[in-house]
Order: sequence, then C-alpha cells, then structure tokens
Amino acid sequence: MILFNYIASFFLIVLGFYTIVTKYNLIKTVIGLSIADYGVNLLIITIGYNPGGTAPIFTMGELTQASYFVDPIPQALTLTSIVIGACVTAMSLALVIKLEEQYGTLDTREIRRLRG
Amino acid sequence: MSILNYHHFPIYSIMILFLGAFLTVVFGHKKALRNIFALLAVSVSLACMIALVKPVMLDGEIISYWMGGRGIAGGYAIGISLEVDALSLFFGLLISTAVFVSCVYSIQYMSHDDNPGQYYTLFLMLSGGVMGLVLTGDIFNMFIMVEILTFAAVALTAFRNKAFGALEAAFKYLVVGCIGSTCILTGVIMLYAQVHTLNFAQLSALIPGNLTPATKVAFALLFVGFSTKAFIVPFHPLAADAHGAAPASISVLISGVLTKSGIYGIIRLCYFLFQSMQLGAIQFMLVFIGSVSMFVCVTMALAQHDFKRLLAFHSISQIGYVLTAVGLCTAFGISAGLYHAMNHTLFKGLLFLAAGAVLHQTGTTDLGKLGGLSRRMPHTTVLFLIGAFSISGLPPFNGFASKWMVYQAVYQKAVESGNIGFLLVLIIALVTSVLTLASFVKVSQSVFFGQLPEEYSDVKEVGFGMRFAMGIFAVLCVITGLFPNLVTTYLTEPAARAVFSVGKYISAMGFDSTVADQAVSFAHAGVWAPVNWLLLLAVMLLAVTIVAVASRYDKVSRRTSETVDTKYQLFYGGEKNVYSQVGGGDLFWGFKHNWRHYFSFMHDLHSGVVNDYALWAVVALALAIVFLQIVL
Repeated sequence: MILFNYIASFFLIVLGFYTIVTKYNLIKTVIGLSIADYGVNLLIITIGYNPGGTAPIFTMGELTQASYFVDPIPQALTLTSIVIGACVTAMSLALVIKLEEQYGTLDTREIRRLRG
Repeated sequence: MSILNYHHFPIYSIMILFLGAFLTVVFGHKKALRNIFALLAVSVSLACMIALVKPVMLDGEIISYWMGGRGIAGGYAIGISLEVDALSLFFGLLISTAVFVSCVYSIQYMSHDDNPGQYYTLFLMLSGGVMGLVLTGDIFNMFIMVEILTFAAVALTAFRNKAFGALEAAFKYLVVGCIGSTCILTGVIMLYAQVHTLNFAQLSALIPGNLTPATKVAFALLFVGFSTKAFIVPFHPLAADAHGAAPASISVLISGVLTKSGIYGIIRLCYFLFQSMQLGAIQFMLVFIGSVSMFVCVTMALAQHDFKRLLAFHSISQIGYVLTAVGLCTAFGISAGLYHAMNHTLFKGLLFLAAGAVLHQTGTTDLGKLGGLSRRMPHTTVLFLIGAFSISGLPPFNGFASKWMVYQAVYQKAVESGNIGFLLVLIIALVTSVLTLASFVKVSQSVFFGQLPEEYSDVKEVGFGMRFAMGIFAVLCVITGLFPNLVTTYLTEPAARAVFSVGKYISAMGFDSTVADQAVSFAHAGVWAPVNWLLLLAVMLLAVTIVAVASRYDKVSRRTSETVDTKYQLFYGGEKNVYSQVGGGDLFWGFKHNWRHYFSFMHDLHSGVVNDYALWAVVALALAIVFLQIVL
C-alpha cells in the first residue's frame, strides 16, 4: 500500500500549491505553504521506507549482513525539512501580523502597493 | 594536515561567516566590536577565496573535502563533502568580493537604523548561505543553504519594515521563494529515490545513464527551483519588489549574489548532473528564457519611476544575457556568460550603492522628485556614471567587453549551427543594450542632472566609507573593462574549462567516471579588439566636440529653480512653478506612446497580487515538467 503514500504526498503538494494560488487570505496562503511542505515530508519518508524493515538503530556488532531496516538518510532529511517548514510558518505569520498592522487587511488583492 | 593547508580554506570561508553571524548576535549592542567582527569575517572569507586562486584556477586542481573525515563506503558517498572546482571558485570569488564591499558600505549606511546588530547577523547568514551553496559538493546541503539564504534575504528585505512596501515585498518573496525551495527539495529527494546518493559527483556519474520519468521530473523541479533564486522570467516581479524595498547594501547582495547562486545552480544542474546541454532543446530552453528575460525586464525598467525598482529590472535583464550565453553550450559562450556575470555583480553593485547613497542623503528614490544632485554629490555622480556606462556597454568599461563577447558567442553559434533563431537572439541582445542605455540616460537626467529641487538644495556628499565602497566597485569595473584578456585567461576560461570536464569533477571525488572530458576551444568568430572600439569612440567624441566648437557652441548659463521656467512658458498662467526640468519620464515619451499598448499590458500583468505570481511559478513548473518529459 506504499502507492497510496506517493499519491497522497503528491496530492498534498498540489493541494498546497492550489491553496496558495486560489485563496486570497494571507493566513490561508501560509496554510498552503505548510500543506505543500507536509506533502514533501511524507514523500521523503515514503522513499526511505522498506516494507518490513526495522528502525535503523544499531549498536556496535549488532549490524550484520542480514539486518533489514528502513533507509535512515531520508529520516534525517525529513527532520531538517520539518524544522525548515516550522521556520517558514513562523516567519510568514510574523510578516502577516505586521502586514495586517500596516495595511489593515488580510486580503492579498488589497496588498499590492508594489506593482507594474 | 596543517590547519593552514589550502584544502581547508573552502570550509573556513563558509564557517567564518556563520561564526561571525553568531558573534554579531552576542556582541550586537557593542557597535565597534560588532563592526569589527563583521568586517573580519568577510575579509577572512575573501582572503581564503583569493588564496585558492593559484591551486584551483591556475593549476587546475579540484579540491575535494569530506566533512568529519568521512568518505566513500561501499561505493556510496557517506557524509557531506565540499568540492571546489574552478567554476565554484569563480562564483565564490565574486560572492566574497560583493559581500566584502557591501559590508564596508553597510557600516556607515546602516548606522542610523534600529538594531544594526541583527542586520549584521542576517547579512552574514545570507553571505554564508550563498558561499556554502557554491562550494558544497552535496545536493541536500545545497538545499539547506538555499533555505538559509532565502530566509536571510526575506528578513533583510523586511528589515526596514516602516519603509514603503518592505513587508509586502518580503511576503511575496517568501511565498514564491518557498514554492521554489519546495521544488528543489522535491527534486533532490526524487533524485535520491532513483540513484540513492546525494553527492554531486556521484549523481553526475549515475544520472545520465538512468534517465527515468522520475529523474526528468526532478530536473524540471530543480530547474524551476533555481530559477526562482535567479529571478529570471517569470519570477522577475519578486526581484523588483525585493530589491526596491531592501536596504541598498542588501540589494547589492540580492542582485549581485543571489541571482548568481541561481545561475550557478542551473549550470551545475544542466552541465553536470544531467549533462544534457548537448541537446538542442535544452539549449533552446535556456536561450529562450534568457532572451525573454532580457527583453521583458528592460522594457519593464523603462516604465519605472523608482530608482531602485528600475535598477532591479535591469539586473534581471542582465541576468538574461548571462543565461543566454551559458545556454549556448560553447566554451566561448560560457566564458562570455561568466564574464558578464562577474561584471554584472560589479556594475550592478555600484549602481545600487549609488542609489543607496542618494536615498541616504535625500530620503527618497522617486525619480520624479529628484534632480540636479550632481552639484551636491559630485563623487557619487561620477561613480554612478561609471556604473551606468558599464551596464550600458560603453567602451572602455567592463560591460562593453563582456556584452561584446556575448554577441560574438551568439553569432558564432548561429554560424556553426546554421540556425537563424540565434540571429534573432543577437538582435534582441543588441536592442536590449540600446534600451538599457536609454534607460540610464533617463536615470542620469532625473537624478543627477537637470534642476535641483529646492528641498534638496542643502544635500551633502555621502561619507567616506560609502564612497570608498563604491570606489572599489568602480575601480574593478574599469580594470576588468581595460584588461579583458587577463580576466578571461585567469578567471573565466578556467571556469569554462571546468564546465566541460565533468569526468574530472567526478573522479576528483573518488568515483569512477565514464565521462570523457571534452576538448575545449576558446576560438571565436570575427574581430575581438575592444581597443579599436575605444579608438572609434574617441574619434567620434572628438568629431562631435569639433562640430560643437566650430558652430560657436553657446554656453548656456546654469539655470537654477528660481529663474526662468522654459518648460511651461507658452502656457504660463501666472502661477509660480516650484521647479521645472525635463523630467526623466518625459525623455522617451514618444517611444512610450507608440508602445503604450504593450506597456499598459505589462503593467496590468504585473498586478502585485501574490496569487498571480504564485500562479506563474506553478505554471512555469508545469510547463517545465511537460517540456522536459518530451525532450529528454
């Protein structure tokens, strides 16, 4: 059933992009960014998954040729990616607060002083 | 290995910047200490890069460096590596120079802002991120650096958050930048899924042999991701917003350094990872995007009323030249493209710093309000003119040399391939250059010449530190323009040669390479002698002078704002005009009038709504995926 994971992850990425493109509320734009990010995280974890594998935690001597475990590198990558995703959300929300103070609105169609 | 062994220098030059970022937080409240740490960090970084010129550029060594002493186990790369070939070093040199000058400039420029401590922290994070990006040999590490530099750039764009549009620009940049970063991460992980490695050298060895639909999608994702960092069309509105809103010292980094990191990523992607530049379709893609960027951005620049926003559009227009030249896939073309990339950093940096100087002294960058500053800021004017001449491609400045090489490379490609399309590209490039000149005539007229508005009559010249920083760029502009042969021999040709020796890049890291290095020739068609053109210019100037003197050129007395209003004389209705001059916007009104439909279309297209820009990004991604699935 690993296929569902791939479908779900690309669905999430596309859904995130769709949210960013179609929603005119700044908060929803930030939510869209997060959704796309979750999609990528799910994709990374899925790529590292081996059906039936154990956790990739071994001490000295335990690791043999017969050991069968999931790929640890994507897990490390996911952790990094999650941290970055949290930073994106925090920073964009900080900007949203400031924008709301300055423009008095959350509508992206009204936040367009820079154009042309 | 001794710690002063030059193999350690790449990691020093990255680490010292991040260390400096940390120290400037800790000592942020102590002005002198903070400035010293920042300057020290950027100087050491620059020194490390310069020290690497001899082994890497001249001797052709490729430095491979495993972090933590790890290496290759069982044929796969374990751990993170740095790999510095001539291409990396070329960009590293550019970046560290721009960062150094920008830091020198910042010390005076940012002294009146709140929290300059945080400014330096973000500044050094941005520099370290770009430095790490060009020196790393690991594609996931590259993604991390992309994120670091995007965050730092967004935060710095919003740094003067009271300034007009700063927050808005930062938010737009963050949204589209994050779409780009998501693309890069997805591309990286899809490559990993296919070939189970993150090391550049190993990826370059494995990918070209197993092209699957997944790797083609990864190519498209990475390409779009790096395009958002290079701000090429269709991501140029973000550049305009971000450059315009950020402090000038940061605009230098965004235009001179960030865009270069995107170009670097595209070169690594197309020439190294996929080695697909021999395909006509990929060449077409790069040259097409480059030409469109060139033309669209220069016409957008013509319609701007803000000094920095105008410069931002020109910046992307020049990046179009770089991309076009790089996309030709000839050694001479790459050499020309890199030369222009270098010059772009120098003259664009100079222009942004001059704009910053004007902003610092007058408090505005609105072209309609400024005027006549040459009398109050003579040094800045001269420095600005050097930059303006360089970007417009007037001999003997550097823009001429590199643009001339780009034209030659395109012409040569047209001759070799017999493809008439390249001649069209050549025409676009020439027209763009003319429009650039026109645009800078407009800026010079609006800001530095014409009449001085009364409110700026007591403006002073900027301080020495800022003029010194601009002076460095100006001197470099002139030097690289006067000695193009030295630049090509010692900087761009080794880098271009590195692009064509992928096999060496792979084997330097310890992997087996089946890629043969290509023979490289820097021969080019036609006459290439800038001195002749300089002589021609001198003769023409002399001729004009003689004609002017012979016709008893009447020296017009300098008018100030109190005296006659000639502009509205016929319609004088009794009211006193505050000042009158030929405004910058009036200079090309005929041209603009004839093209009004195009200009108004473009104006409506750049609507400023973040959803539109996000849509462009997603559409670009979709097109890239479809296009690359078909042609690869």
